[in-house]
Amino acid sequence: MSLLLKNISLPLADFTLEVDVEAAKRVTAIFGPSGAGKTSLLDLIAGLRAPHLAHIQLGDVVLTDTSKKLSLPPQHRGVSYVPQDLALFPHLSVSQNLLYGQKKGGANNSLFSFEHVTDVLEIQTLIARRVTELSGGERQRVALGRALLASPRLLLLDEPLASLDAPLKSKIIPYFARIRDEFQVPMLYVTHDRFEALTLAEEIIVLVNGKVMQTGPVSDAFLHPANAEVAKLFGVETVCPGKIIATQDGLATVEVGRITLTALAPDTAATDVFVCIRGEDVILQRDTATSSVRNRLPAKILSIRPEHALVRVEMDAGFPLFSLITRPARDELALSEGGAITALIKTPAIHLVPR
Amino acid sequence: MTLAEWQIVGFTAWVAALSTLVILPFGLALAWALARGHWPGKSLVETFVTLPLVMPPVATGLVLLEVFGRRGVFGGFFYNHFNLNIVFTWRAVLLALSVMSLPLLVRSARVAFEEVNPRLEQIARTLGAGPWRVFATITVPLAARGIISGMLLAFARALGEFGATIMVAGNIPGKTQTISLAIFQNVQIGEDASAYRLLGISVVLAFIAVWSSELLLRRKTRTR
Amino acid sequence: MNIMRRFFSIILAAGIVLLAHSASATEILVSAAASLNNVLTELGTNFQAQTGIQVEFNFGASSTLARQIVAGAPADIFFSADETQMDHLANKGLIDPATRVSRLGNSLVVVVPGDSALQINSAADLTNAAVKQIALADPKAVPAGVYAKAWLEKFQLWPLVEPKVVPAENVRAALAAVASGNVDAGVVYKTDAAISKKVKVAYEVPVADGPDISYPMALIKASAQPDAAKKFLAYLSSDEAGQVFTRYGFLLKP
Repeated sequence: MSLLLKNISLPLADFTLEVDVEAAKRVTAIFGPSGAGKTSLLDLIAGLRAPHLAHIQLGDVVLTDTSKKLSLPPQHRGVSYVPQDLALFPHLSVSQNLLYGQKKGGANNSLFSFEHVTDVLEIQTLIARRVTELSGGERQRVALGRALLASPRLLLLDEPLASLDAPLKSKIIPYFARIRDEFQVPMLYVTHDRFEALTLAEEIIVLVNGKVMQTGPVSDAFLHPANAEVAKLFGVETVCPGKIIATQDGLATVEVGRITLTALAPDTAATDVFVCIRGEDVILQRDTATSSVRNRLPAKILSIRPEHALVRVEMDAGFPLFSLITRPARDELALSEGGAITALIKTPAIHLVPR
Repeated sequence: MTLAEWQIVGFTAWVAALSTLVILPFGLALAWALARGHWPGKSLVETFVTLPLVMPPVATGLVLLEVFGRRGVFGGFFYNHFNLNIVFTWRAVLLALSVMSLPLLVRSARVAFEEVNPRLEQIARTLGAGPWRVFATITVPLAARGIISGMLLAFARALGEFGATIMVAGNIPGKTQTISLAIFQNVQIGEDASAYRLLGISVVLAFIAVWSSELLLRRKTRTR
Repeated sequence: MNIMRRFFSIILAAGIVLLAHSASATEILVSAAASLNNVLTELGTNFQAQTGIQVEFNFGASSTLARQIVAGAPADIFFSADETQMDHLANKGLIDPATRVSRLGNSLVVVVPGDSALQINSAADLTNAAVKQIALADPKAVPAGVYAKAWLEKFQLWPLVEPKVVPAENVRAALAAVASGNVDAGVVYKTDAAISKKVKVAYEVPVADGPDISYPMALIKASAQPDAAKKFLAYLSSDEAGQVFTRYGFLLKP
């Protein structure tokens, strides 16, 4: 079932949310930095906020159409919503919460029966408890269960893992996968964690300052960011303005900072570009030797900062350049701040994004 | 305490309780609209609801007398069509107590409603509940403490109401005489002992009502 | 703080001005029955024009006024609507008995709202079903109400009429209730009925049927201006005052 978000316009505090996309996969991630308008978009889809302009259609049911002054009230949309703070009803027990949205006469579909849902989410033992007695992970699963027991046609999730610590996240993620596989309900999953999106979603909508920057398979956002903003969001460490000064045989010579690089020529005829290089793609070398790498840059190390198991090295290679290497590698190369090193970048690893 | 005095206490408590129940539906609706709504004229309505709280009660009583008297807009309607008298009957006592205590209920209930997380109501809507169901199953239960506290305050206010009552209901022994009206009359005719007995009861009743109201509010430690 | 100082000095100045003002002219305070409102106001104005003494009035139910005087209200003269309230003060030794004079009488009438079609031709008519509510000054203590009750008791009608009674603060409040149309009838003094254009007299209680109405006046012993007060009492007993009383409808006792 596809979700059509056409001509959406909603003025917000600092910018206007404008969206015009179609989400057709089982799990679509809405990704963006905080304040990008993601929660507002979910509110619009759920009917909790009125847009300036919009045509929102789920399958063949029109939920909102401002041109016809049509707006289904939230209780008739069949859209379940798990907000960031879960919004469990504190004065009701777990079972009362779970059953709140269940249609009269039980669920039509045995898929959404009480037994099945509590089984999949493993919350059968919790049903007699009060909501205030639950742990973080338990509350999460109860909120999901409540949303599912309403037999939704679409499930909205707003940063469901944001408030959980790493061990808990890895425990909960499988439940989402189960929901995706067992219940066949399309999900819109808001997150600011790009790896969560990669794990759970089949397609992604990247939202920055209320505008859609990119849609498509999640991996595309990593590998082929549509613009510099997306590139930055998806962890491309080096993003620098540059100018293509020559192209030949499918290769482009790019002037960036004080030096030139060899990169793959982009499809467009644009000469002003952003040069995007992933930290993982920058190799550091002590000795000079002959290799296949076309871009060998002498660099001065500006800072060395640990990042979990890796180390982030900031250099001046004629332009600001970042590299991610392992700690043992740092020790082996005897890197020090202020010291000199050579940076190697393979041509295909330099991504040029038109400016 | 004489039998007549107990009857006065009973009458006052009965009409005060009835007035609290009578203002409940309208008071809650108004409190809800003020807590959640944004509509033109909202500040005007807010002001009017607060007026009986700050205007001299006799002034409010005078307004009620004009409107509900036999020649008034509403009073005339009831008198001419149903042969029903409002002023100088127990119905006027009910009216005076209701009008004077309504602002207290609305203020307390409004604060209680404002403290209910709107997200809870929104999520309930997405789960298929219409506005009335949300109000009844989510909003009111979560605001219950504040609402009941407001009802107790309204009841206490109604028990002690004097100015508006004497204007619109008169001080008719056995018919409209409340505790405060009886105290007033007793002082005028020199029945001091009776006045002091009624004063004592008045203090006790008011104390219990207000204390319970405060207790309810203080124990509000429920999480959202 | 400068603002606070300014504020307090203004309050102080105002207080001094007020105090100074009150100490200037000779003033006497007369606590008088409500039914004497209009006639005494006129007489007070005449008296001031003649003597320069200012007369302040405190009108109300005689029973309430008596209570106030017992509690120490600074009245110079008490002008009551019945002897009972004056006796109350006399028994407590609060008045100068030598100055006590009962010169004035009155009669009762039954009034109805100006647009009423009600016919009252006797005391018994008050028991009709058409008469649902009757305004009286509180019959427990206010003279006008006490007189009305006495009249109806004389005809053994009080038990039948009592359930319909709406007691009022004083006789003018009873009059106002009738004028507003919120009650069907009221019993007030003939002199009161004459004041209001919004009521009409339905029945005049014959003097023989009604109780003996008497308005005593006296000097309060604790008066701070006994000379000025006695002058006013003398004026109230004069022929000139008598004419004014008669014009308003009061009866003069021989």
